[in-house]
Amino acid sequence: MLTDSSIEHYRGRFFNRGMVLPIIASALTLGISLHGAHDPTPRAHKLRHAVAAAAAATGLIGGGFHAYNVTKREGRLSWHDLFYGAPLGAPFALILAGTMALAAEHVRDARDRRISLFGQPAGPMLAALTAGGLAGTIAEAALLHFRGAFQDKFMYLPVTIPPIAAGLIAKAALEQTPRWPRLTRFWLRLTAALGFAGAGFHAYGVSRNMGGWRNWSQNLLAGPPIPAPPSFTALALAGLAALDLLGSSRHD
Amino acid sequence: MTERNRFPGYSTLAKHDTPSWNAQTRAVVDKRLNDPPPRRFFTEEEWSVLVAICARIILQPTQRDPNVPIAPFIDQKMAENRGDGFQQAGLPGMQQEWRRGLSAIDTEARLRFGAAFVDLPAGRQDDVLHMVQDGDVCAPAWADLPAQQFFKGRLLIDIVTMYYAHPQAWDEIGFGGPASPRGYVRMGFDRYDPWEAVEHA
Amino acid sequence: MPEIVPPAPRGKDGRAPDVLRPGGWVPMRQYRDNDEVDFAIVGTGAGGGTLAARLAEAGFSVVAFDAGPWFRPLEEFASDELEQTKLYWTDNRIVAGDNPIELGHNNSGKAVGGSTVHFAMVALRFRPEWFKARTKLGYGADWPVSWQEMWRYYDEVEDALKIAGPVRFPWGPPRRRYPYRPHEVNAAGLVLAHGAEKLGIKWCPTPLATVSAPRGLSPPCVYRGFCVIGCSTNAKQSALVVWIPRALAAGAEIRDLAMVGRIELGPNGLVAGVHYHREGEWRFQRAKNVVVAGYAIETPRLLLNSACPQFPDGLANSNGLVGKYFMVQSNDAVWGTMDEEIRWYKGPPSLALTEHWNYTDTGKDFFGGYAYMSQGPLPIEFARTLASGRGLWGQALRDAMSNYIHMAGLKICGEVLPREHNRVELADATDEYGLRTARVVFGYCDNDNRLRRHAVLFMRDALAAAGARDIWESESTAHLNGSCRMGEDPATSVVNADGRSWDIPNLWVCDGSLFPTVGGVNPSLTIQALACRTADRIKAMAARGELDRPAASPARTAARAVEWS
Repeated sequence: MLTDSSIEHYRGRFFNRGMVLPIIASALTLGISLHGAHDPTPRAHKLRHAVAAAAAATGLIGGGFHAYNVTKREGRLSWHDLFYGAPLGAPFALILAGTMALAAEHVRDARDRRISLFGQPAGPMLAALTAGGLAGTIAEAALLHFRGAFQDKFMYLPVTIPPIAAGLIAKAALEQTPRWPRLTRFWLRLTAALGFAGAGFHAYGVSRNMGGWRNWSQNLLAGPPIPAPPSFTALALAGLAALDLLGSSRHD
Repeated sequence: MTERNRFPGYSTLAKHDTPSWNAQTRAVVDKRLNDPPPRRFFTEEEWSVLVAICARIILQPTQRDPNVPIAPFIDQKMAENRGDGFQQAGLPGMQQEWRRGLSAIDTEARLRFGAAFVDLPAGRQDDVLHMVQDGDVCAPAWADLPAQQFFKGRLLIDIVTMYYAHPQAWDEIGFGGPASPRGYVRMGFDRYDPWEAVEHA
Repeated sequence: MPEIVPPAPRGKDGRAPDVLRPGGWVPMRQYRDNDEVDFAIVGTGAGGGTLAARLAEAGFSVVAFDAGPWFRPLEEFASDELEQTKLYWTDNRIVAGDNPIELGHNNSGKAVGGSTVHFAMVALRFRPEWFKARTKLGYGADWPVSWQEMWRYYDEVEDALKIAGPVRFPWGPPRRRYPYRPHEVNAAGLVLAHGAEKLGIKWCPTPLATVSAPRGLSPPCVYRGFCVIGCSTNAKQSALVVWIPRALAAGAEIRDLAMVGRIELGPNGLVAGVHYHREGEWRFQRAKNVVVAGYAIETPRLLLNSACPQFPDGLANSNGLVGKYFMVQSNDAVWGTMDEEIRWYKGPPSLALTEHWNYTDTGKDFFGGYAYMSQGPLPIEFARTLASGRGLWGQALRDAMSNYIHMAGLKICGEVLPREHNRVELADATDEYGLRTARVVFGYCDNDNRLRRHAVLFMRDALAAAGARDIWESESTAHLNGSCRMGEDPATSVVNADGRSWDIPNLWVCDGSLFPTVGGVNPSLTIQALACRTADRIKAMAARGELDRPAASPARTAARAVEWS
């Protein structure tokens, strides 16, 4: 997301000064996540917590800006503006990243097995966040692949595989104990793999544009965004973590 | 006439070896710049009148040296007889139009101001050209060549065409220049790509 | 200028250029001149190229001729206006009449792929009522085909070209979604949008024959803006890139740099083949049928130049209508300066349009309609517009051109009424082949001028509403139509609904000459749709053994039209 927002806001030439914020926010979130991953102390960290919350807040604000950008253009909310205006789904990803980071802080801090998140049991909460995140990412991919006329049959993959995973993890969120953990795990792993494959497909897409890689200064901006598909991987991983939490709470 | 450059530092030629130019474009523009065609069609006299007219129709910045050549390319078009694809009934073909037109303009200058067109000061040359443009002429040669039609449909068209085929003309108006394989990404109001001209208004 | 145009034909020795691959070739079936091929087609543009592909795919033997060269866009198209004049028909023609028209870059291509190699890719359907303009709207003439029939063929052509159009098209009856999504509207197009919204009319992204996503070997448009002087990206879905490859794959032969000079009439009153000039000599190709698809000047010119004792006034011209009812479309425009940077040189020239005045019949003091579109002329084209529209030179020209990146413009595609007086005829002058050149006589009528006036006033308001200042006007024309029109009555038309001439059953016409009326939209989509229909009709007639019989009488044609709709 750091890469994606950097590229896209560079494309927008930072016409609004605030466009630098999501880059800073996602960089910081990346930083604290790495820090948190390496920190052996099983406790939440005030600064990491603050950054995560700020990231989520930045995403919320960005969502407002993007919505304004899309609707202020001519013709109210038209297909054309959805296609070419600021992507509504992108700031949502930052909200998600911030929220996931917050979740990670909460989870690591738990002294006992009954971990909670935003007042709810952690497992179902994280599963619900994953399902929501997947839904948003699917919608974004669907919109942009629709814009690309599904000209390559593989473009149907992100609107067929992840929805199944999203459905399954949403179901798990609603159940006290997940009834289909193996099936859910399979589809999440498939979605995670799809994220990598998608990056590969997008790189191919950039290369088949006019001038290919030599014309990178146009094609990296115009072509299918290479950093976008890995969002599926990130979400799928969160879903797998949620499944673990759901599974462990089963033994309470 | 000095002029503030609206796009200082911008040069379409500077993109010669970037993805904005392809081999074909380089070949064509290089030839135009490095190998301007020799005078083959117009006589020396006609040529000097043409050069003088071009200098009034297209005012080139005084700080530019050398000037963008225009007359050689009109000469080449006439020499090769590469028409635009149509000829008005009752008018001679474009080769004759130019020959007669140049001669008529010179005659007009002599009749009105008592000197050859090339010997008149710039202001007087402009006066003659305005007369031709308005059809307010008295040289007998114009009987076979309607002055307004010649000015609007042949003289102006050919001269501006050859000038705006030159990279320096592209630079001064902020045109993006050649664009293949690399085109453009940013298409909105007040948006431009890093390889476009930046306006200093 | 460097001689880039290849002096030798490329479609020979059993192969043809594969223009989608640099330096590529595909095998091409070839016929001997002595082989009596099923169809000899003159011209390979929107009419001839499409027909060649569809007839070859239907199993007929086809040889298509084009006077122009076989360009390789990827390697040979430069980003240079002067160099790219090589795409146009610049052989001399005479223009006359009250409003002599300009020819060349605005309407006449000379290349395999015809004028679609340089066209602006605007892909619009006729308003359904226009097919019965006389009966339903009270002007012009009725077409001998129904809109329902044409709707099917519009579907086919839009899919064949993968037209990139808006998800919802604001006008006309329900239609299938465009195959590809619309391009991003540039600032120049957004100026049209703003103006339209302020004046309370609808607008939309222009449906364009250039891809907004990859298509086979065509990459998506890179918005370089040199569209009307040749697409070096190969995103533009011209006949060169769509129909010609299909024709080749189906076994047709395309002969480039082959100028057809005369159609030969046999002793039995049927045409026997075409005389063509290639590689320095005249040759004769035998054919069972000849289709003339040279667009609305060269088609009548060829028919007139093929005069013979049985048809002293030209082939298919017993009623004297070959060349008559010639139409163009008015291209009046308004231009203005914006405070914002527009940089209209980016992207196809017309990324936004409105067809409001094509579909509204009130508030008009004229018959017919017009669409108007945003503009993006390159430097030479704009300088010429300034010169001819405002007569600026010297400092005034410099000052005007210095605003180049702030300019915005709106231009109409305006309907012109069919009038017998407007015509294509033969001049006395001859060309390099010794063939008499064409003389095009055109004048606007009162209705045409009222339409132009209405359009200019409206567009001025629209441009001002969008924030432009220093607004001025220019005029020009585009497109060529009507000079061998189709109809149901042999007394008032040259060919029937199938493009088959009334006089000679194996002589056909398939291009813009067919149009009885011209409408207020660019003609290319309709020409291609007619060609697809003609191919289907020929297929059906051949199956019934009717290709060898004369064209049906109007009563039978009408009955068949009902059958088809």
